[in-house]
Amino acid sequence: MLASDVHFAKDLADALDIQRRRPGILVFAGGTDILREQGGRGISLPAELLCIQSIPELRRAGLTERFLEIGAAVTVAELLELGDSALPPLLAEAVRGIGTPAVRNLATLGGNISCRSRFMDSWPALACLDGLVELRDQGGATWMNVNRLLGEDGKPSVPVGGLLTRVRIPLDRWDVHALRKVGPRSYPTPETAVFAFAARAEKGILAEVRIAFAGEIGLRSQALESSIIGRSLPLSSREATSIAEGYKSLAEPLPEGLALQFGSLLDGALGLLSS
Amino acid sequence: MTVSFILNGEDVSAKARSVDRLSDLLREAFGLLGVRSDCRCGRCGRCLVFLDGRLVPSCIVPAFSVRGKEVVTIEGFAQTEDYREMVEGFAAAGVETCGFCEAPKIMAAAALLERTPRPLPREILEHTSSAPCRCTDPEAIVKAVQAVAELRARRLYRRAGQ
Ligand SMILES: Cc1cc2nc3c(=O)[nH]c(=O)nc-3n(C[C@H](O)[C@H](O)[C@H](O)COP(=O)(O)OP(=O)(O)OC[C@H]3O[C@@H](n4cnc5c(N)ncnc54)[C@H](O)[C@@H]3O)c2cc1C
Repeated sequence: MLASDVHFAKDLADALDIQRRRPGILVFAGGTDILREQGGRGISLPAELLCIQSIPELRRAGLTERFLEIGAAVTVAELLELGDSALPPLLAEAVRGIGTPAVRNLATLGGNISCRSRFMDSWPALACLDGLVELRDQGGATWMNVNRLLGEDGKPSVPVGGLLTRVRIPLDRWDVHALRKVGPRSYPTPETAVFAFAARAEKGILAEVRIAFAGEIGLRSQALESSIIGRSLPLSSREATSIAEGYKSLAEPLPEGLALQFGSLLDGALGLLSS
Repeated sequence: MTVSFILNGEDVSAKARSVDRLSDLLREAFGLLGVRSDCRCGRCGRCLVFLDGRLVPSCIVPAFSVRGKEVVTIEGFAQTEDYREMVEGFAAAGVETCGFCEAPKIMAAAALLERTPRPLPREILEHTSSAPCRCTDPEAIVKAVQAVAELRARRLYRRAGQ
C-alpha cells in the first residue's frame, strides 16, 4: 500500500487525537528505520502516516538533579550535542555508534527504542541505566521500564497503538561500565549487537549489576543479576567463571557466533570486577 | 500533493507523490543531478543535502516531509565561500577523490566545521564517513579539514583583533 494521507501533528494533543480517530496509523519520526530496507525506486508506506518530528513536546530534553529526560522526537545528533556532562557515558557511547552522522541527524531516540523488527543500539544501554519510557494513548500516560520492551521470546514487544513520548534516565552513579558493539558497525545486520554492562559497589560489596545484550533478540536476566549482587569485590576467578556459566543458557537462543562474542564480552566485563 | 519548501535559497513548490524520495524529487523535478540516488537506503552518502542546516541522506527522506523546510544541495552549497574554501583545502592537502564522493565529503566536512570549529582527526573521519568511499586517503582528508579549520580560526582571530 502507498501512503495517501500524511498527518503532520502540530502538538501532542493533536497527535493523540489523530491516533484516536485513525487507529493503526503508522507513527513516522525520523523515518530512517521505516525506509532503511526499501532499496527500490519508490517508497512503500502504509495508507496513513502520523509525522511527529515537529511536535514541540517531543523535541525537548532536560536535566534535573535526579534524571535526564529526553523527548521521543529528539534526534540522536541533538542528543549527542547535549554533551558528555549531561549524557550518561553508557548512553552516549551507544548512540554514538548509530549509523553515520548524517543518519543521526534524522534518527530519533524514540524511533530507536520503538523499532519492532529488532533491538536497536540504545536498548542495552537504557536497560542497564534503568531507563523509563512514557507511553501515551487516549487512556492516559504510562511510565514503563525499558526492560518491559523485551518480550518473553526475546524479541522487542513495543506496545502497539500508542505514542512513546519521553525517555527518562536516572542519573545514578555507576562505578564500572562497558559498552561494545559487535558486527558491522554503521548498519544493523543480523550479526550486529550491542553489549552493555554497569556495576556499583558499596563498601567493597557489589551493590548493583546490570548486563544486557541485544541485536535481533535481547538478553537480560534480572534473576541472574540478583544472584551476583552482594558478593565481595574483587570477584575471585572461580566466582567470575561460575557467573559466566550461569549466563550460558541465557545466551542459547543466540546464533553461535554471537553467543561466543557475548561470552567473551561478559568475561571482559566480569574481569573489571575481578581486579 | 504539492510540497512547498526553500531550495537553494528560493521558494519552490513541486508535485510529490507519497512514494517519492527527496533525492528523486530534486533530480527529476529540479534537475539537480549533483544529488545522486544510488543506494536508496542511506548508506552511500551520494545523495547528501542540508535539510534545515543538517546534513542528511536525501534518499531516505520522503519528499512530502520537507514541507516548509529549507534544502540546500551541492549546487546551492557550491555558491558559498565555505565550499570554495573547502575545495581549496582539499586540493592543497592532495585529497584525490573518485569524483562521486567529493561533493558529499566536502559537505560532510563543512557540516562538521559548522558545529566543531577545531575537530579532532577522529571526528573528521567519523563525519566524512557519512560519504564512505575507499578512494580517498583518510590522512589527506584530516589534513585538509584541519587546514581549513586553522584558516578560519586565524581569520576570526584577526577580525577580533581589528
Ligand atoms: C544507513 C542506516 C544506518 C543505520 N544504522 C543504525 C545503527 O548502527 N544502529 C541503530 O540502532 N540503528 C541504525 N539504523 C536504524 C535507524 O536509523 C535507527 O534505529 C533510528 O534511531 C530510528 O529512528 P527514527 O526516528 O528514524 O525511526 P522511524 O523510522 O521513524 O520509526 C521506527 C519505528 O518506530 C516507530 N516509532 C517511531 N517513533 C515513535 C514514537 N515516538 N512512538 C511510537 N512509535 C514510534 C515507527 O512507527 C516505526 O515502527 C540505521 C538506519 C540507516 C538508514
